[in-house]
This record gives sequence, structure tokens and C-alpha cells, in this order.
Amino acid sequence: MRITNNMLINNMIKYIGNNLTRMDKLQAQLATGKKIQVPSDDPVVAARALKLRTDVAEIQQYQRNLKDARSWLEITETTLSDIGDIFQRVRELIVGSDSIESPEDLQATKNELIQLRTQLINLGNAAYAGRYIFTGFKTDQKLLDENGNFLVEVYNSEQISYQIGLADSINVNVLGGDLFNNGADITDAEVGNPGKFIQDMNDLIEAFDNADYEAIRNMTQNFSDNLDTVLRVRADVGARINRLELTMNRMLNDITNFTRLMSENEDVDMTETIMNLKNEENVYRASLAGGARIIMPSLVDFLR
Amino acid sequence: MGEAFFGLNVAVRGLFSAQRSLDIVNHNLNNVNTPGYSRQQAIQVASRPMALADGTGMLGTGSEVIGVTRIRDEYLDFKYWSEAMSYGEWGVKREILSDLEILFNEPSDSGFTAIMSNFFDSLQELAKDPGSAAVRSLVRQNAVTLTRFFNNLATKLEEMQYDINHRIQTKVEEINSLALQIQQLNRQIYITELSENTANDMRDQRTVLVDKLSKLINIEAYEVVVGYTPDGREDKHFVITVSGKALVDHFTVSTLALEQRDAGKKVNREDIPGLYEVKWADGNKLNVKGGELKGLLDMRDGNEGSVNPDNGLVSPNYKGIPYYIKKLNEFVRIFARAFNEGYIDLDGDRGFDADEFGTGHASGYGHNSDLSGIRFFTMTGESRQPLSTSDFLDGASEPEDIYDVYEKITAKNFSVSADILDDYNLIAASDEAGQASNINVLNALLALRRNADMFSEGAPEDFMKSLVTTMGIDSQQAGNYSDNQKIVIDQIVNRRLSYSGVSIDEEMANLVKFQHAYNAAAKMIQTISEIYETLINELFV
Repeated sequence: MRITNNMLINNMIKYIGNNLTRMDKLQAQLATGKKIQVPSDDPVVAARALKLRTDVAEIQQYQRNLKDARSWLEITETTLSDIGDIFQRVRELIVGSDSIESPEDLQATKNELIQLRTQLINLGNAAYAGRYIFTGFKTDQKLLDENGNFLVEVYNSEQISYQIGLADSINVNVLGGDLFNNGADITDAEVGNPGKFIQDMNDLIEAFDNADYEAIRNMTQNFSDNLDTVLRVRADVGARINRLELTMNRMLNDITNFTRLMSENEDVDMTETIMNLKNEENVYRASLAGGARIIMPSLVDFLR
Repeated sequence: MGEAFFGLNVAVRGLFSAQRSLDIVNHNLNNVNTPGYSRQQAIQVASRPMALADGTGMLGTGSEVIGVTRIRDEYLDFKYWSEAMSYGEWGVKREILSDLEILFNEPSDSGFTAIMSNFFDSLQELAKDPGSAAVRSLVRQNAVTLTRFFNNLATKLEEMQYDINHRIQTKVEEINSLALQIQQLNRQIYITELSENTANDMRDQRTVLVDKLSKLINIEAYEVVVGYTPDGREDKHFVITVSGKALVDHFTVSTLALEQRDAGKKVNREDIPGLYEVKWADGNKLNVKGGELKGLLDMRDGNEGSVNPDNGLVSPNYKGIPYYIKKLNEFVRIFARAFNEGYIDLDGDRGFDADEFGTGHASGYGHNSDLSGIRFFTMTGESRQPLSTSDFLDGASEPEDIYDVYEKITAKNFSVSADILDDYNLIAASDEAGQASNINVLNALLALRRNADMFSEGAPEDFMKSLVTTMGIDSQQAGNYSDNQKIVIDQIVNRRLSYSGVSIDEEMANLVKFQHAYNAAAKMIQTISEIYETLINELFV
């Protein structure tokens, strides 16, 4: 092939241009730490990057949801534990009432029972971040009035659930009826009446007031049942907290895995890229050196 | 001994031939860097010999230069012209698609994926605390960001369409200007060549112009023999055709013209008004099949060859700006319909079915509100203000009519409804009035994010992923085509340079060669002169 001077120059410019293009690409990868800058660099990597970003963002949201669900359930558990303590104390008072003979002492115990009842009412109106936890969907309303009568209807179907996974949600609330109304819904008709817990307290206080030892003794079974109810609900809440913790651990693994996948998908291998850049630089230097030698001389330089 | 002074005449011819060749070397060296220049050579022949009177044979009379020819392989020119047109087309497409990729800004932490994630994350927070004013205001703010993202993108896409339209105008003017220049050169070349000369340099110039033209639009350029000149040579006319019709025919030019399309003549519904239709100045339809003009037209009008239902016009079969506007419009319509009405196209017929309405924002109640039927997303009205639910529905109450209302939403006018903007407590979470923590509706809305039936591409984020990937693949393809064409073009240019380019070494060698020839001829004169000196001055003294 006949080679002319302009061919040499054109080719040299083209080759050096190609060198620079490759170096620019590597430089962009090093500067951003990403394999691709725009989707056309590698559409497959781009598609996966988008998918993984969505997945990671979702997992992060689920992690926040899990934490909030756990706080709610922990408040519920503390409340339940307090209610259990109240019934435990009530049972002790019932057992201890046998040995009380003076009416003054009986009155003192009654006063303690009234205090316990007020405490129970307060616990029934327990709140998490300003929201009452036992009133189902009506978290803006109290469950009980100061006498312990129901203020709102609460159906056991009013379960508040938080999303904690793609197809996974957890029920965070304990319903007022389940606890205070012996497992039944609090219907419209029952609003204004006390539930079983409060009714039992009222009956016991009345029995103490009348110094009716027989009636007091008969209440023992009721409070054992109430304690069982509390324990049943507590066990359920405990199980839910357990499940949350397992899910949290799994999410922690998931986020590590997804972040790793994301990094593998779109982050550059620095060592490799620097090596490649170094390599390209050598090629670039060589092509500059070669180009400089090849375009310089012509026959003109040697004719004297 | 023959005629007196015969030898001197021969030697002078030698001087002239060498000098002519030196002139040509000079010209070649001067034009070593002239674009499109082809090196020239003297056509040197031995001049007509003389028959000797005594019958001893023919006596040579030296040399003469009978012409100057350019060294050119015209096949390479045809090859260049046919390849340059796809180089032009794909180069333009690559450039515009790269701009599009930058516009969509994916993958990044601030593109659509991030904005969509933020919106749904704030809905998740709302699910956990539906009464919180802070969270409600956050949801509203993120929804506005989401709608603005689409408004912004659509506006930018329209700006791009406008810019491309402008570039089309420039390209058409460039084509017309080149056609005129070529026509003028045709005239000069033709007149020059009437007198048996070859217009080497003007032909080179014309090739350069045709090279430029071939990048802009699909052309075929050739010389046709139309008859014979009085002295018996072929009478050739240079013709350039575009899709079969002559752009330049010897001394005549048919220019291209631009005409703004009427509102009823839009190729796509999504097009901005006033786009140019490129046609022949004489009114005929122009069929552009290649070159930068084709690239620009494809990008400006391309919508996968779909037919505009308003006027039956067919768009170019490429994914250009209108395609992306159309896809964004489709996204906001379907998303708004699903979010507001719970409408999911389960049977995939992309049409209305009354039983496909489900739980959406409209079926819920806001915080401390017994209002239902509020639409979360609407659009901006004529005064560019967001519409309220009632203005948006405009009296539509039947599911079918409500379905149709959404066809009016575009990416450009997509907006959060005025109701929600005025009062964030109207964001519906509950399916019953007065239940502060009822999130049955909100849960249905949250589930939309993963609803794979919403789009034919899948869930909302899959839709955008697919759109970005499509763009990435198209851009990559355009880049590859353009790179490949560049290699082909470079190869042709190299072969042209190899064949026609000036080699300085070669010219220097020739310079020496002709200098020697000149010197030799001069020496001849000296010798003959000495012979005469001897004959005249010394023999008879």
C-alpha cells in the first residue's frame, strides 16, 4: 500500500484519540467509583442498578417500620406487665383479707384496691407517641373514662399492621376488648359500661366495703382468670416481639447482601482500574513517542 | 548530419518537459494539506518522430507533455458517499440519545428511583402514624416532588424537540447551500472541459462538497452521458439525486423547503406546535432515507412507527423524543388512575373495564374528615393551577367517564390535586370516617408499588427501569453503529489518501529526478552548442 504523509498524520491522530478515549473512560470510573456513568455504558448493569436501588430503599424502610413496631409492642408489653402486677397484688390482698378483722384495716385494703383500680384505668389508656394503644383504629380516643367505663367501641378486627417485608406485615396493637372485655368486641351497646377487668375490681371493692368475706373469697377465681387473660395476651405480644427480632436480623443480612450485590454490580474494582489506567498510560506514551518519530523526518531532511 | 539545429530543438523540448513536471511537483507540494486534493501527474509522451529522408528509419524528436491528470479512484468516492450517510445519521442519534440519558439521570441517587422511593417511604411513615401533621406534610411535599419530576422532564423533552427542529432548519439550509455551490462548480467544470482539458482541481473541490452533502442526506451522485460533443467526446452531466429526485442536475438545482405543520398535521399528538415539514421547494414530498437529516427527523418525530389517530400520519419507526414523552404520559395516566381509583388493568387489554376498579385514594377518608372521593393526583388546568377533584372530574360520575378523564393528564400537567395541596388532612388513609389509625386504604396504596399488573412492563419502578434500559440500549446501539461507520469511513479516507494523497518523499524524489532531467537537457544544449562552436568558429578559421 502506498503510504502518504497525511495518512501517517491522520492515523496518528486517530490512534492517539482512541488512547485518550479509553483513558477518559477509566478516569471517569476512578473519579466516580462507578463502572457506568450513563445507561448506554452497560444497559444490563444499569437495569440491575435501578432494581437494586429500589430493593435497598425498601429494605431500609422496612427496617424503620420494624423499629417502630418494636417500640409500640414494647410499650404494650410494659403496660401488660404492669396490669399483671396489679392483678397479682389484688390476689395477694384477697388472700390476705382472711386474716383482717378490724373494719379499719379492711377499709385500708379497700383504699389500696381503689388506687389499683385507678392505676388499671390509667394503664387502659396507655399511649405510644400520643396514640392510645388499646383503642384499635381510634387511637385518638381514650379507652376508658375515669370510672373505668368504655368510651369507644373497639372491634377485634381493628388490627393495625405495619409492613415489615415484601409480603409480610405484623399486627402491632392489642385490642381493648381482647384485654378488658374478656376477649369480646366492645360493641356500641357496651360503651358506657365497664368491661370484665373493671367490673371485677368494682365487685371486689364493693365486697370489701360490705366486709363480705364470702364474696371476697369467691372473687379469687375471677382474678386468676384475669391474670390468665393478661398472660395470654402477653405471651402473644412476646411472640410478636420475637418475630420482629428474627425479621430484624434477617433484614440486617438482607441489607448487607443487597449492598454487596449493588457494589459488585456497579462499583469499580479500584486495583484493576488503576492497573488498566497505568497500562493505557504506557500505551499512550508509546503511541506519542512513536508518532513523534514517524511524522518528523521526510526526504527533505536528507537532501543537501 | 541532418537539419541544422535539430538537436537544439530536441534539447529544448527536454527542458520544457522537465520544467512542466517540476511545475507539477511544485503544485503537488503546495497542496499537500489541501482537503480533497488529488495528486497530479504530467502525461509525458515521446513527441512525433521524424522519418529520415534516406530511408534509414525514424528519428526521435524528444518528449512533450500532452496533459495533466489527477490520480483519483472514483470508486472510493462512491463508496464514501454511501457510507457517510449512515455515519451522519447514527452520529446525530448517538449525540441526542446521550443528551437524553443525562436528562433522565439514571442510575443516580437523585433520579426517578430515588424520588419514587421517597414518596412511598413517606406513605409508609404515614401508615405508622396517620394523624401526624409532620408526616402528612412530608407526604404532600414528596408527592409534589414526584409530579414536578415529570413536569420538568416533559418540559425538557419538549425543549429538546424544539432544538432539534431548529437544527433541522440549519441542516436544510446547509443542504441547499451545498447544492448551489455544486451547481456552480458544475458549470465551471463543464465549460473548462469543453476544450479537452480536465478540470482537476475543480473536480477535487466538487468532491469535497459532495462529501459534505453525503453526510447530511442520502444522495446518489454520478455523471451521466447525455450525448457527444462536436469533437466526438462524451458529453457528461453531473447529477445528484435524493431518493430518486434530482437535487442538482447539471446546471439546475431543486432546493428543499421547510413548512411549519398545521395543528392538524402533527405527526404525533405529543409534538409541540410549529414543527417543520421538510419537502421539495416545488411542493413534492421528500423521502429522507439517511444522513444527519434522517437522524434528526427520527429523533424529532420517532414514535415507533405509530399512527396518529387524529390524522392517520405515521411517525418514523424509531424511538425519538415523542416516544419518551408518550411513555411518560402513559406512566402518569396509569399511575394516577391506579392511585386515585385503584384501577388496575388485570386483563391487560389497556382499556376500560368497570370491574377493574378497586380500592384507591378516592375510596378513603382523610384525617378528622368525613369527606371521601378526593383524588390525590390531578393535573394543572388552563391557568396552570392544580385542579381540585371536582374540577378535574368535571361532572364525570360513571366509572367509564372517570376512566376517560385520566386521558387528559400528561407528564407536563401532572399535579397533586388542589384539595390535597390546600389541606393535607385530606390525604386518605382510612376506609371509614373518624378512625384515626385505620390504614386500610393506605395499605392498598402502598401495595401499588409492587403491583406487577399496573403496567405491561410490571410495577411502576419496573416501567421506568424498562424505559431507561430501552434508552440505554438504543444509545449504545447508536454509539456502536456510529463507531463502526467511523472505522469504515476512516478506512475509505485512508485508501483515498493512499491512492491520491501527496507523498512528500515521492515528490522530493521526483523533484530530484526532474532536476536531473533538466540538467541533462541543459547539458545537451551545451554540448550541441560546443559542436556548433567547433563547426562554425574553429573549422574554417
